[in-house]
Amino acid sequence: MNAKYDHRAEPATVRFAFTPAAAYVRAARLVAADVASHAGVTTGLLDEVRQAVGEACTRAILRHREAKIDDLVRIEFSIGDRFVAKITDNARDMRAQPTAPPAPAAPHGDARPNDHDTREEESLSEEITLIVLDSLVEDLVVTGPDGEKGTTVSMSWPLPGGASPAEH
Amino acid sequence: MRGSSGDGTSGPELGLSLSTVGEYAVIAVSGEIDMYTAPKLREAVRQLSAEGSMLVAIDLTPTEFCDSTGLGVLIGARRRLADAGGALVVVCSNPRIRKLLDLTGLDKVLDVQEAVPSE
Repeated sequence: MNAKYDHRAEPATVRFAFTPAAAYVRAARLVAADVASHAGVTTGLLDEVRQAVGEACTRAILRHREAKIDDLVRIEFSIGDRFVAKITDNARDMRAQPTAPPAPAAPHGDARPNDHDTREEESLSEEITLIVLDSLVEDLVVTGPDGEKGTTVSMSWPLPGGASPAEH
Repeated sequence: MRGSSGDGTSGPELGLSLSTVGEYAVIAVSGEIDMYTAPKLREAVRQLSAEGSMLVAIDLTPTEFCDSTGLGVLIGARRRLADAGGALVVVCSNPRIRKLLDLTGLDKVLDVQEAVPSE
């Protein structure tokens, strides 16, 4: 295998999914930093990539807990002109689906804690994830949710020799 | 206890080391604070206040990584200690985590210091 990516070809892609459990957020962070490093993201930005992908995954897990679903959280990294990370949850907009009862959470995901303080900290964390993402990532787009799909957090970072987003 | 998770990989362990400096019970945190490990830190603060320590310092200087879940624990701990007549000091001379506190504006909400107050 040739580890060197050709930026003129189709974007190289790494895609995976994980059960919405806190134990897997670290794996997602580590993969993000590793793929970004291979892609050529400058060393100074790798911490930012690691933090941002971790925050987006944490947010996705909290959204799945809130919606009481155990669907996989999906991640995609692509390496083209820029390094792009997309984190997709499956927590649809419940207001758009008033008749659909939420499925009970399956045992693999994290059950929602019953403790009041913990719940309060979690809703706080969900807000803080967006504050952190917003202040950390220059190119951040959050789409959804609607009645069909959850939200996708898209973020990108420059690569050496790549185009800036303003050139599109 | 630092038990490995049994899968042979180095786990995202959170190391908590307890000491006393002046009037403060100090928790020095090493490793990574995230959604998975944060409950351990939350529990340690609760344990200290249950034992009567109302002045608590959380030392993030040796912390390798902290995410928003960790920040949530700090805010929750500050509130619970303040409600009980105590106080939380966050000790942090670690630039990476200082940056996170600055970005979120929590450096204004939390009492962030370079060292544990010893007087």
